[in-house]
Amino acid sequence: MNKGHLTLKIFLLIVLNDFVDTIAQLLMKKGLIQTGIDSINLSNIIQFTVKSVHSPFLWLGIFIFVLNFFVWIVVLYKVDLSIAMPVGSFCYIFVPICAMIFFRENISLIRWAGIICIVLGIHFVAQSKKPAQGELRANG
Amino acid sequence: MVKIILLVLLSEAITVIGQILFKKSINSSGVYDLRNRNDRLSFLSEIFTRPYLWLGLLVMAAGLVVWLFAIAQGELSLVYPIGSLQYILVLFSAHRFLGEKIDRMKLVGTLLVMVGIVFMSMS
Repeated sequence: MNKGHLTLKIFLLIVLNDFVDTIAQLLMKKGLIQTGIDSINLSNIIQFTVKSVHSPFLWLGIFIFVLNFFVWIVVLYKVDLSIAMPVGSFCYIFVPICAMIFFRENISLIRWAGIICIVLGIHFVAQSKKPAQGELRANG
Repeated sequence: MVKIILLVLLSEAITVIGQILFKKSINSSGVYDLRNRNDRLSFLSEIFTRPYLWLGLLVMAAGLVVWLFAIAQGELSLVYPIGSLQYILVLFSAHRFLGEKIDRMKLVGTLLVMVGIVFMSMS
């Protein structure tokens, strides 16, 4: 097996993982907003915790988070952590590009710059030299 | 504001430790062909006997709690650019603790990604 090499399949798996992660984050955030508490301090931390754990959105988010973990394990089996993490930043450009294609939203110049930086960055990271399988094992 | 930034940084640092532990446990696993269903199952069952993996899960759970406290109070548009620091943190700690190579391509790529994330959150 070609370990350490970023194939298209692994790339898509990482993107899927980060996309699902974003959904889980949004669900958790929604659950937390519903508590109605926007500033946490010592006096309301217990109230905040109790309200949070009763939120179905929070638990749905956590559930998706856990399922997603299995995908991540497979990703880490295939590639270096220092490759997998930056490639995952693809999710930052996924939403604005979808918004542009499907909702004809405009993308500001600075965002275009951001998109170009991230795409180039992922490209460079994917080009980095892959360690031989033996080296990978030895480091395990 | 400062509290949120510190919470995000703390949660990122914890997350990176968790990721290192995951990768460490996975690196110590046998060789499997993950296209094969049986191999996938034996891979998972081997991985879940690793103490590092469980330690990683524990660390990640703690990181998640800190993260939830952070996003409950902070705008995601503020939280994400600070979070981009985790990429450089991962690069160096994966080198230190997992022996992953840092070459020029990886370093430049990682920095570009970080700059890109900051740009994305600026509009």
